[in-house]
Amino acid sequence: MSSVKLQKPAPSFAPSRKHVANRIWQNRYIYMMVIPVLAYMILFKYMPMYFLRAAFYDYKLLKGFDGSKFVGLKWFERLLSSPDLWQYIKNTLSLNLLSLAIVFPAPLVFAILLNEINNAPYKKIVQTVSYLPHFISTVVLVSMINTICSPSLGVLAKIYKSMGLTPVNFMGNPDYFYAINIISGLWQGTGWNAVIYISAITGIDHCLYEAARIDGANRWKQILHVTIPCIMPTFILLLIMQIGQLLNCVFDKIYLLQNTLNLQVSEMLPTYVYKTGMISQKYGLATAGGLFNSVISVILVLIANTVSRKVSETSLF
Amino acid sequence: MSTISIPKQKKHRRDQDFIKRSTGEKVFNVVNIVVMAILLCFFLFPVFNVISISLSDDKAVLAAEVTFYPIGYNPQAYTAIFGNSDLWRAAFNSFYVAIVGCVLGLIGTCVAAYPMAYGNFYGKKLYVIIIMFTMWFNAGIVPLFLTIRSLGLYDSLWALILNSMITAYNVVIIRSYFSSIPFSVIESARIDGATDYRILFQLVIPLSKPVLATVALWLIVGHWNDYLNPLVLIHSQEHKTLQLFLKELVLNAETSTSNLASVNDATNKGVAALSQQLKNGVLVVSMVPMLVLYPFLQKFFVSGVMLGSVKG
Repeated sequence: MSSVKLQKPAPSFAPSRKHVANRIWQNRYIYMMVIPVLAYMILFKYMPMYFLRAAFYDYKLLKGFDGSKFVGLKWFERLLSSPDLWQYIKNTLSLNLLSLAIVFPAPLVFAILLNEINNAPYKKIVQTVSYLPHFISTVVLVSMINTICSPSLGVLAKIYKSMGLTPVNFMGNPDYFYAINIISGLWQGTGWNAVIYISAITGIDHCLYEAARIDGANRWKQILHVTIPCIMPTFILLLIMQIGQLLNCVFDKIYLLQNTLNLQVSEMLPTYVYKTGMISQKYGLATAGGLFNSVISVILVLIANTVSRKVSETSLF
Repeated sequence: MSTISIPKQKKHRRDQDFIKRSTGEKVFNVVNIVVMAILLCFFLFPVFNVISISLSDDKAVLAAEVTFYPIGYNPQAYTAIFGNSDLWRAAFNSFYVAIVGCVLGLIGTCVAAYPMAYGNFYGKKLYVIIIMFTMWFNAGIVPLFLTIRSLGLYDSLWALILNSMITAYNVVIIRSYFSSIPFSVIESARIDGATDYRILFQLVIPLSKPVLATVALWLIVGHWNDYLNPLVLIHSQEHKTLQLFLKELVLNAETSTSNLASVNDATNKGVAALSQQLKNGVLVVSMVPMLVLYPFLQKFFVSGVMLGSVKG
């Protein structure tokens, strides 16, 4: 009941301090929401940022910051001077550029082809089935890859044999690492990432198609001159977001697909950070590696965003 | 009336075409349907393969004959799986994290989104920045591990639940849905003397069921399939989640079994084959909840993706 009284507008002659207090009091329940959320954010999202300090220490788990030696930029120097770092970056970039060329446009093509199917139930079935891989965990995905690619028990080896070729140990051969990654990426992402394009296509005004048909455009021309230009803004926005992720990798998949034989091409910064920090327990070095990765990612996102704002007048923020 | 008849026309757009279809278009149609059928097989094959292998007998598995359907039906692997208490404990852990994580995550995200959508308070800008900053900058796994350890949550299921309880992306999605509710509704409730908590739980949340379903499913699927966080934050055998358990059982065994299988020894081959069925059976068991859920709930996921694409 008291809050009813408080909803009255403050008198115009009220001093500003009273007004401030009044406004805070009016919003006391809002603050009761804000404070726990802020507490959560500080504990779980900002405390890790505080622990980034470990990048400048020879951090020992049991000693904490007080007991550990401050080493300044030692870890960064070691990281940047090591040829391994550039190998990891090269691996990440190679994989990401390849998937940018192959995996990224696939949902667009899939969405357009799906849209061209006239049979509604068939379309529905294909669409539903195409989502399925998205719900399968990385561990299961990698197990499936292992089974299919196994040189002795796998289907792929069987096909090779029937074609008169000797089966290859796909998982153990670094040459196949990118191919395995790309194909499994296509499998897992195509259907799901097409959703966004399908919704964009559904939103296209049908007058455009009608006008195109009256002008004599066949199906192919309609796709080329109506569908594609209409979903280009979505495509470009997603492309920019993807470019911002060029130096990131999906830790789970890369880590699980790694083995001693393909490490040369499969080791990337996040997996290196995990191994250095969590397995070798070099917390300082690992934190420095992680920080390096995060900072580069943020810079890339910012650059991509600025470019997109200049080029296409669409930006994320 | 006209608004009703338009969608019908849209639906039969191609059939009512007044321009005759060329042979090229007919060929395109057939090719397109065939391409989609091939893709259908591509999407389904690995899943069918796993299920079939788990149900086949040794001979067919070792000869790599099993593709889309089981050969020589043999459900023996499943009796072993259902008797395995480690698997059930891991599955229970995952289930617990997914359900509790989903409920707490929803409440937390709504409470975080409400002031962003309806609040007009001092410090709102700062509040928004504090939340949004976490979307763009991530400290990484080692600082996360150090944080969780210093909070005394290391090797506890609560570390997994709390760590992904409120994420900036989910807050943005829910905030944008909240903002679509007319503000006059909130205002009138305030004038009637309802506190903001009451408005949130009795008015806003019941009005936001679609977006809450979406985020709930994201949280559940995210927790169920999560591998990185349990890998970093969980240590002991009894708190292992299903994905960690699977990784140990299936992938660590992978190298040893393929070595075994490559040896041309009949007994070793038997061992390898049995574990193949077992391994795939365990994978099937871990997939079942998601495979059962997704066809029914996909529309929520899809609507969420669209929401994210519009507002994100």
